[in-house]
Amino acid sequence: MEDKRREVRHIVRNVKSLPTIPGIMAKLNSIAEDEKATVNEIARLISSDQILSAKVLKLVNSPFYGFSRRVSTISNALILLGVNVVKSLILSSSIFELMEKNVVGLWEHSMGAGVAANVIARRLNLPEPEEISTAALIHDIGKVIIKIELKEEFGNLISLIKEKDMSMREAERELLDTDHAEIGDWLAKSWLLPEKLIEPIAFHHDVEKSLTQPTKTSAVHLADILVKASGFGFSGDDFVPKIHPAAWAKLGLTEELLEGIVGEVEEKLVEVKNFSIEVQSTDDTQA
Amino acid sequence: MTPKLRITLISREKNLVDHMELRLESKGYHVLKLTKLSNVLGFIYSDPPDIIIIDLSNDDSETRGIIKSLKDDSYFCIIPVMGLLKESVEESFEWGNYPLDDFISQPVKYPELFNRITLSLQRIQRVFDNNPLTKLPGNTSIQQAIEKALGNPMAVCYIDINNFKPYNDTYGFASGDEVIRMVARIMANAVRESGGGFAGHIGGDDFVFIVSLEGAEAVCKTIIDNFNTIIPDLFGDEEKSKGYYIARDRKGHVQKIPLLGISIGVVPTNTPKMQHAGKVSEMAAELKKVAKKSNKSCYVVNKRTY
Repeated sequence: MEDKRREVRHIVRNVKSLPTIPGIMAKLNSIAEDEKATVNEIARLISSDQILSAKVLKLVNSPFYGFSRRVSTISNALILLGVNVVKSLILSSSIFELMEKNVVGLWEHSMGAGVAANVIARRLNLPEPEEISTAALIHDIGKVIIKIELKEEFGNLISLIKEKDMSMREAERELLDTDHAEIGDWLAKSWLLPEKLIEPIAFHHDVEKSLTQPTKTSAVHLADILVKASGFGFSGDDFVPKIHPAAWAKLGLTEELLEGIVGEVEEKLVEVKNFSIEVQSTDDTQA
Repeated sequence: MTPKLRITLISREKNLVDHMELRLESKGYHVLKLTKLSNVLGFIYSDPPDIIIIDLSNDDSETRGIIKSLKDDSYFCIIPVMGLLKESVEESFEWGNYPLDDFISQPVKYPELFNRITLSLQRIQRVFDNNPLTKLPGNTSIQQAIEKALGNPMAVCYIDINNFKPYNDTYGFASGDEVIRMVARIMANAVRESGGGFAGHIGGDDFVFIVSLEGAEAVCKTIIDNFNTIIPDLFGDEEKSKGYYIARDRKGHVQKIPLLGISIGVVPTNTPKMQHAGKVSEMAAELKKVAKKSNKSCYVVNKRTY
């Protein structure tokens, strides 16, 4: 079993490229070729895709630029990298060849979590709201790695979840001797992403373990749960975990505050849902 | 052990790159082969090699575009790019279209290729006037660029970072260097995205950019906005909300030091008084003094037309 864990870790360290979904790529390609596209338009579109966002952050935090892992938002990355560099990065990205339910579901889940985190950060007046949304957007990147790099295991996970009525994470623990949060943590570290983003990825299920970024981790934890509860997207299983007491405390949540947040998240998710439909219809026309 | 030198090979011909890879790897180089041109820039940007070898046997706009994009970027232009040329076309080759550092003939003579690789790397280190920290052109190039602008409807703009010295003293020179690199990148990108111009690094926390007079104010605004967006990342939550940090000044007194800002002095070069580069920098120094009086980042344009 220990071997499996080591194998997964090795795979994570050697991840070279992760694919993006075709519809979002089609949109990005047209924006990349548009001379008049503004930095904000590009930033907004990149922020709807966890893979591209993670790639942009990887690049801007690479030793080549010398910003020592400080850049943790897409808009700052764009300012420092420049539109040209980001456009080329977009144009060279690979895409998923098959659009499966899991791929779309995961993409929707991550985008939804980013939007929910933004609502949480603003309503609770948390510092660095953009960092919080970015962390939420990429919190499940470990699942993408499993889907892409461990294809066979992914199939087995899905069967196991169905058969034994397990959560995704329990199934991962059983089959891989690790889980998507830890895999995400490995990837974020090997890509030299900023600390601010690593803990929310690593501990979005174990808020109490987040020592340096407890607020961000709590916000991402809550965003993840709210999106699951809303039924938007699909993150591997249908379980809706309970909100961790440590997150309640850290965020200073009350029933009343939560109600307000849930209401606004539901509203915002309608827009996200429309965007997703639009993007998926782009896929159809392409195929 | 020194890390292996990394070479990126670009050609649509798979056989060619496979063969070259074999020879280069046997020499101890680490090789990345790219046979799909549309992917090239993305790969290079995300993982920059030490040297690039690119096949020029098809004279096409895609290949030219790749080379031009690399050479136009202050960070990537230092990577030597070697062209791979068919012997038959060498005499009539249009060098003007290809800002290359060196070339090698095809069929490739490998001992020659190995020597050229070594020399390319040495040369790039030797001839670059560019600032080692920011990779931006240094004073020789700046002087030339200013002289070229004189008499034309251009603006020479001097940037200087406010409160840089105490920041450097308090947070350490590594953090100071990072600020310098960020300003360089913010400026160079803003200039490029405005439609082009010149961006240089005088040294320390002093920078220059030259753009059309018409576009100068917009570029100044972009630089200031982007600087104000980025710079809070360098401070903790507490400093950010207060807008200052506590440190000792040069005399050892404890002081409230404001977070970093930038001042820009904008000197139009189409006025009769601006006849040599010295005059331009003199004027810029005066303007920056005025700009520095403001507590916030700002720019000041020389309106005197005498």
